[in-house]
Amino acid sequence: MEAKVEIKALNAWYGDFHVLKNINLQILPYTVTAVMGPSGCGKTTLIRILNRLCDLVPDFHMTGRVLVDRRDIFDPDVDVYQLRREVGFVFQKPNPFPMSIYDNVAYGPRTHGIHGETQFNKIVRRSLQQAALWDEVRHRLAEPAMKLSGGQQQRLCLARALAVEPVLLLMDEPVAFLDPISAQKIEELVMILKKRYTIIMVTHNVQQALRVSDWAAFLYLGELVEFGKTSSIAETPADPRTEAFLTGRFG
Amino acid sequence: MSAPIHRAHLPGGENATLEDLRNLSQRLLEALTRMVRLWYERLFGPTARDLLGRSLLLLFSITTSLVIVGIFILLWAESLPALSSLGLGIFGPVWDPNRNLFGIAVFITGTLWVSSFAILLAVPLGIGGALFLSEYCPERIRLPLRMILELMAAIPSIVYGLWALKTLVPALRNTFQPLVSYYSGFGVLAGAIILAVMLLPTVVAVSEDAMRMVPDTLREASYALGASRTETARRVVLSTALPGIGAAVLLSLGRAIGETMAVLMVTGNSLVFPVSIFDQTYVMTSVLANQLGYALADPLYRSALFSVALALLLVSVTFTTLGRMAIRWGMRRKGLRR
Amino acid sequence: MGNAEEGVETMKTGNALRKGRSWLRLPKSRREFLDRAAYVSLGFVAVLLTLPFFAIILDVIVKGLPGLTPTLIWESIRNLGREGGIRNAIVGSVELVVIASGVALPISIGAAVYTTEYSRQGRLHQIVEFTADVLAGVPSIVFGAFGYVFFVWLLRAFTGGATLLSGALTLSLMMIPTVLRTSQESLRAVPITLREASLALGATKWSTTWRVTIRACFPAIVTGILLAVARIAGETAPLIWTTGYNSDTPWSIFDAVASLPFTIFTFAMHPDPVVNAKAYAASIVLILIVLSVDVVANWVSRRVGILVRKG
Repeated sequence: MEAKVEIKALNAWYGDFHVLKNINLQILPYTVTAVMGPSGCGKTTLIRILNRLCDLVPDFHMTGRVLVDRRDIFDPDVDVYQLRREVGFVFQKPNPFPMSIYDNVAYGPRTHGIHGETQFNKIVRRSLQQAALWDEVRHRLAEPAMKLSGGQQQRLCLARALAVEPVLLLMDEPVAFLDPISAQKIEELVMILKKRYTIIMVTHNVQQALRVSDWAAFLYLGELVEFGKTSSIAETPADPRTEAFLTGRFG
Repeated sequence: MSAPIHRAHLPGGENATLEDLRNLSQRLLEALTRMVRLWYERLFGPTARDLLGRSLLLLFSITTSLVIVGIFILLWAESLPALSSLGLGIFGPVWDPNRNLFGIAVFITGTLWVSSFAILLAVPLGIGGALFLSEYCPERIRLPLRMILELMAAIPSIVYGLWALKTLVPALRNTFQPLVSYYSGFGVLAGAIILAVMLLPTVVAVSEDAMRMVPDTLREASYALGASRTETARRVVLSTALPGIGAAVLLSLGRAIGETMAVLMVTGNSLVFPVSIFDQTYVMTSVLANQLGYALADPLYRSALFSVALALLLVSVTFTTLGRMAIRWGMRRKGLRR
Repeated sequence: MGNAEEGVETMKTGNALRKGRSWLRLPKSRREFLDRAAYVSLGFVAVLLTLPFFAIILDVIVKGLPGLTPTLIWESIRNLGREGGIRNAIVGSVELVVIASGVALPISIGAAVYTTEYSRQGRLHQIVEFTADVLAGVPSIVFGAFGYVFFVWLLRAFTGGATLLSGALTLSLMMIPTVLRTSQESLRAVPITLREASLALGATKWSTTWRVTIRACFPAIVTGILLAVARIAGETAPLIWTTGYNSDTPWSIFDAVASLPFTIFTFAMHPDPVVNAKAYAASIVLILIVLSVDVVANWVSRRVGILVRKG
């Protein structure tokens, strides 16, 4: 099976700070990969590179190649707006727009030129269903999104990302700000969604990674210390640093 | 030995001596001193100072609140004669003090023309400038630009008036006279332009503040969905900052209506109802600035002028207060909730 | 769920990564073109906004600098402006500002102190805030009209008519909102722990307020004062009917007084071009005075880190 995402010899800096050191990684399609590590290890930077959100940071520069579907995403010919559509992103803190639920989900499609109310209705419904939010909000789509609870807002952000039909879904500690029940709902969703999407999820919760992911990458101070099937790493970590992290010796 | 004292009345009874007398008077003196000190403290001590000072400050607070009340009452009282004797006739079209005709419609119309046109010029440009400063501008250019805007706000209106009178009006005349033969340069257009220039710093500053308060995480969400900077600016930032921008417009409208000197010097002060921006006009602030002193003798004349002042006060204050409240309310509602 | 439905073909996979046209640096799509066009036009607007400033400043400097002679500053007005200088106006403006401040500052700061220290949650606090906000929106000519009836006429036995006192009192009313609001905000910014420390040592509220709280936010209050001063120094409309005319410096506050902004106004409207030229020179003086007060205010506020906003 060919890799969905290939990262080759990636080095990244914020100014003089060397945040990612020689990362080599391959992500297989239709899997959930957990990216783990203590705070500051570069995991958020890593996934932000995948949808080129790193472009927005002035001091950022990098070397190496990042390929999605065997195409270099940093090629000058690449339309970054299209790229960001195909690589979806869910943020750590739910950030719905101060608009109605409907308009939040329809925002992406609208940006990319979809017209027509019928189209939007279809897309909104499908996306909210995929995010397991449809039944809760179907009768109040015109209500402001800010009125939803934290868990609902995060599912809305998920629906919003799914509305543009990405192939790769990036999630940056998506349940960090949610209560346990909402967190669980999202984890269940991830397990269902991986049948259609390739998912990369940053987490610092080892238990969560064990529950949800197929593959796990462990980063420490910018280096990729270990990468492999979650089950094998959990049982027999090859590197002592991995083991220390897994057993909670640092967070 | 002193004369024997009636022993039964002294403390200590049978054994009272001179010593006891001294003790007693000493104790009495101490009690007296304590009482005096107590009363002194009550009147002049720290607690008293506290109380007195506090009362003085209370007086000051009440005074400051009474100022605006006093202004309203006085304007109302002064305009009452004209309002009661003319009734709705105060809104008549003719203003001629010599013939005892005091219709203020001309001035209201003039203010409407000049202010609306000024807002029409200032608001789009101001929002555009604010958008640039907030979403596009590199940081090192932003600070100098903001500084220039603050300097513009600091220049007194009389200087704007001077420049408008001596430079803007001739420039307008030279530009448009070929097209509009009677145009002298003075009129609605000149007033609107200089007014717009004076309003721009406020519009930009308040709008930009509103835009900056839109959390960055919303911008990120928009970019992550594949929107461009302009699309994000338009659909996320602008729409979220709209209450603040609306407040900026309200504030500017209030200030446009109340601006005196610059407009006075370039609108021509002619008692006509303008039909185009090239016409001359007479605005409410100008008639007050020009004619207040001459009306002292004639009670009806003076009263009519004060009805203009009253109208001016009511409209201007309404807009600026609404604008200020909208800013505070908008901050609470959208920006600072998360 | 099913495959991509009709109408959503635009969202096929791989679009972004398909090799596009390889024109160097030209917009890759219509959307990028619009984005860049917006950047350029908005930048153009921003530059356009600053042009009036440079135009006006340059114009005033070019036309005013020749007339900016020591005579101008040192001599008073003579022959209705055709000869002499503007000393009476400069001194008059200073006098007006000083007296106006002397009246407005105690009242405004006192009210600010009371509402933040003694009545923070109370009704009076809200009333004072609200009335100050309303007062801030009153047009300057309305202050002039009020001052005309109230100070020049009703209180003429006290002020002497159109005099320095009447003008200063009118200006002081205009200072109140600015000084009051900035003082309130400055006082509010002082952390409660500071007051508590003083009270815990047995000081009264009164001495705590003046010796601790105000001292802590003093620069911020000063900034507010300077901003208010800069504002009224440039005001013309309130003075037109309240200050009278004086070709020299008044000897008492019950005399009429000339002011710099009003003098600029009369010079500007004068038919004689010689006098007009003096208006520009006087404007330079006025701008210098106002801007230096603002610069000092900015410097003071920056030293504290609390930025006080105008307007």
